[in-house]
Amino acid sequence: MALVETQDLVKNYVLGGETVRAVDGVSLSIERGEYVAIMGASGSGKSTFMNMIGCLDVPTSGEVRIDGIATQDRDGDALAELRNQKIGFIFQQFNLLARTTALDNVAVPLIYAGLGSEDRRAKARAKLEEMGLGDRLDHSPAKLSGGQQQRVAIARALVTDPVILLADEPTGALDSKTSEDIMEIFETLNNQGITIIVVTHEAEIADHAKRRIEFRDGKVIKDILVAHRRIVNA
Amino acid sequence: MIGNFGQKFSAWIVNVAIAMTALRTNLMRSILTTLGVMIGVFAVTLAVAVGSGAQVSVMQSINALGSNMALIFPQPDSEGGRTTFDRGRLTMRDANAIKKQISGITDIAPQLRTSIQLVVAGRNASTSAIGATPGYGKVANAAAASGRFISEADVRSAARVVVLGPSVAKKLFGDYDPVGETVRINRAPFTVIGVMESKGSSFGNDNDDIAIMPITTTRQRFTGDSLSGPDDLQMLFVGFEDGVSLPRAKREITRLLRERYRVRGKDINPFTIRTTEEFMKESAQVTGIFQIVLVAIASISLLVGGIGIMNIMLVSVTERTREIGLRMALGAKRSDIRNQFLVEAAVLCVIGGAIGLTLAIAAGTALTIYADFPVPIGIGVGIGAIVFSAVIGVVFGGYPAVRASRLSPIEALRSE
Repeated sequence: MALVETQDLVKNYVLGGETVRAVDGVSLSIERGEYVAIMGASGSGKSTFMNMIGCLDVPTSGEVRIDGIATQDRDGDALAELRNQKIGFIFQQFNLLARTTALDNVAVPLIYAGLGSEDRRAKARAKLEEMGLGDRLDHSPAKLSGGQQQRVAIARALVTDPVILLADEPTGALDSKTSEDIMEIFETLNNQGITIIVVTHEAEIADHAKRRIEFRDGKVIKDILVAHRRIVNA
Repeated sequence: MIGNFGQKFSAWIVNVAIAMTALRTNLMRSILTTLGVMIGVFAVTLAVAVGSGAQVSVMQSINALGSNMALIFPQPDSEGGRTTFDRGRLTMRDANAIKKQISGITDIAPQLRTSIQLVVAGRNASTSAIGATPGYGKVANAAAASGRFISEADVRSAARVVVLGPSVAKKLFGDYDPVGETVRINRAPFTVIGVMESKGSSFGNDNDDIAIMPITTTRQRFTGDSLSGPDDLQMLFVGFEDGVSLPRAKREITRLLRERYRVRGKDINPFTIRTTEEFMKESAQVTGIFQIVLVAIASISLLVGGIGIMNIMLVSVTERTREIGLRMALGAKRSDIRNQFLVEAAVLCVIGGAIGLTLAIAAGTALTIYADFPVPIGIGVGIGAIVFSAVIGVVFGGYPAVRASRLSPIEALRSE
């Protein structure tokens, strides 16, 4: 059974009285453990597609299944639960809460998972330590570099032990050196078995993925497996 | 079950922590917003306290009158019916008949009232005089603090003696004890035989500005011409033993007096009977209305404060749309978002309410000390004020909070 499965997925927007078909009948499946790059120019529908498989946006028609669960008949709260348990999000602008420590930022998803304060702190601390930020627990985002902030965000995405990591332009706000660091983290996580889906328009970022899906005008125009350039864990 | 409760409780604690961070972030704005609630709670709490203070002091002054008592006036009853008397009647003989025939009476206090001027050694004082019998002391809770009260012998001989209220004594004699001194009342010399115990003041009315003399003396010298008969009274107090039913006593006295004056059927009575119980009920009603009006006016300021809360919460929701989207992406349910903003509004209101309550207690204490007006703010009122503040927060924060919870996750995340 595929981890992510879409069937005739369609999303229409009405802009200025005109209907725009952002995603136009996409059917594809992503297996557990894959590392997928979704590419395309802006307006190609890649972000809309990603928002739908992330259960943030509701399709106009068609189906999305996450880990075997059909999403179309679930209400807002059930989708929130699904996001909380199955999906970790990483954003271009990190989206950390200002004036909130790294530890508390990472612990936010655990609040909604219903964990008590002790468990939240312990799990958040462990994830931050994994990300090499054990000495930055009490720092607010303003006191962290871009790379450190994105690592806090990755810790936050992973803290609920999701099956999928969804990253929307994760390096868009970072310099190339830091971008490489983040990509290395992604590779390590993928090697640990986490499914990663990255939306990007940068070829260098897409090169790290094992599968590349290209969007144009709301349709998939290319879906290829790429031989990996580098040998990991040789 | 316990674990579930623990989780829920923990979630509320988290919401309070989030609220505190958010309120600190916009500290100036939070202070100004909470000011509205603070003033509102201050006004309402003080209004409630002043209202119950008024009630307390009305009850005190009725109790000062004598606790279980009927007051009878020679005034025709005001209720409808055929008038057979052009003026009211009440005589000493009526008073004695009541004392003899009605059960449960401790004593009666027939009275005449007039105004007099007292002069001594160049000082003078105007006051109201009560022509009374020894029964007055018992019925009206009055006793002499020094010297003695009027005796039967004083009444029989229409003696020129007077008992002064403490205020009158002070005005004429200062701190000197005047018992045994002579004062001139309307040019005639009177001997001061006693000074009354103080009864304080009620509603700015000095209960100690009074002089008491034998009823016979008053009739001979001051009120004789103005009365229709040599035996007429201007007022009669009837004191009852504890546990006597005043409405029933009133019915019995009414029946007796109607017989004496041969009042029949629907003809109106030439007298009016009021009981202390009726006074208490009426003043409870009046002070109750007074309190409602006061609280209603004060509530307007609380309403304005609440609108301020709603306004600032709407701003807060708009400003933090992206945060709301992020929380939703991370798994927050609608109820989580709604509760977060409800708690924020409630925290804002409870802080304002606590400060408002503190100020009200301070103002109430000051009023009690400096204006001699009781303003009781009990624990009940205090807890009520705090709970009410939280309710204001939930009511006025409700719309913004629900609006926040209804945002679409993706639109909220995309907002700038």
